[in-house]
Amino acid sequence: MDPLTEYAIKFGIFLFLMSLGLFVGRHREWSHFCDIANREEAMSDMLVTQVKSFPAATMKDSPPCMVVAEVVVATDYLKSFLAKLRNIFGGEVGSYQSLLVRARSEAKLRIQEQARNLGYNAICNIRFQTADVGGNSTQTRVAMVAIIASGTAYHAAPHAS
Amino acid sequence: MLVANTETIAGYRIVEVKGLVQGNTVRAKHAGRDIAAGFKNIVGGELKGYTELLTESRRQATERMLAQAEQLEANAIVNVRFTTSAVTTGAAELYAYGTAVVVVPDEEY
Repeated sequence: MDPLTEYAIKFGIFLFLMSLGLFVGRHREWSHFCDIANREEAMSDMLVTQVKSFPAATMKDSPPCMVVAEVVVATDYLKSFLAKLRNIFGGEVGSYQSLLVRARSEAKLRIQEQARNLGYNAICNIRFQTADVGGNSTQTRVAMVAIIASGTAYHAAPHAS
Repeated sequence: MLVANTETIAGYRIVEVKGLVQGNTVRAKHAGRDIAAGFKNIVGGELKGYTELLTESRRQATERMLAQAEQLEANAIVNVRFTTSAVTTGAAELYAYGTAVVVVPDEEY
């Protein structure tokens, strides 16, 4: 095989992966964001705070309980390529910013759903932290983010309004 | 056993502090998960294998922490925190810690 066809094949694979990222990745991200928006809408009546106390707590049948959820999300090929380009010029890496937003919203929704399934209507002291799942192996070099969200679910008095 | 990541628990009063309780676990991900993650990297999205791994580790670490609290004869753990650290490439530690306490229901509630 002459070097020209070899380069052509390599470039073809690159274009294929880019277009996969562009179409499949974009679509998956978009549908995930739609899913998040719908679930957030359904959870809008839940009182979620980041304070250490228990706002409007009432004692009803069960004591407070801790809820934890974790999410690991990866970017697509196109976005990691764009981020690598950004690395040359510096500045805000928008493609990874949306990745983190996605992971945190998903983790928050998971603990809210857990709390609701356990019969609670409020969560306080919600904490987000990035986790380590063992680093990236050198061959795959997956750009990914792992989030652990934790909070304490409890019963709150209904809103005054 | 009541577990909370707040410093107090609504409706309960802390009458005795038993001390720090902790649990940890180091887990390695297997090659299959790495390969699956490599494919996922092309189209993006949740890496379910890694999420499960993290959930398992967290459960294990929490169980170990709870066992310690039981040994101390506590009935609640407050201010629970999680932290992770990469030990080597491919293995991560998950560490859970909190304060074991004895609580009684508060009559004022």
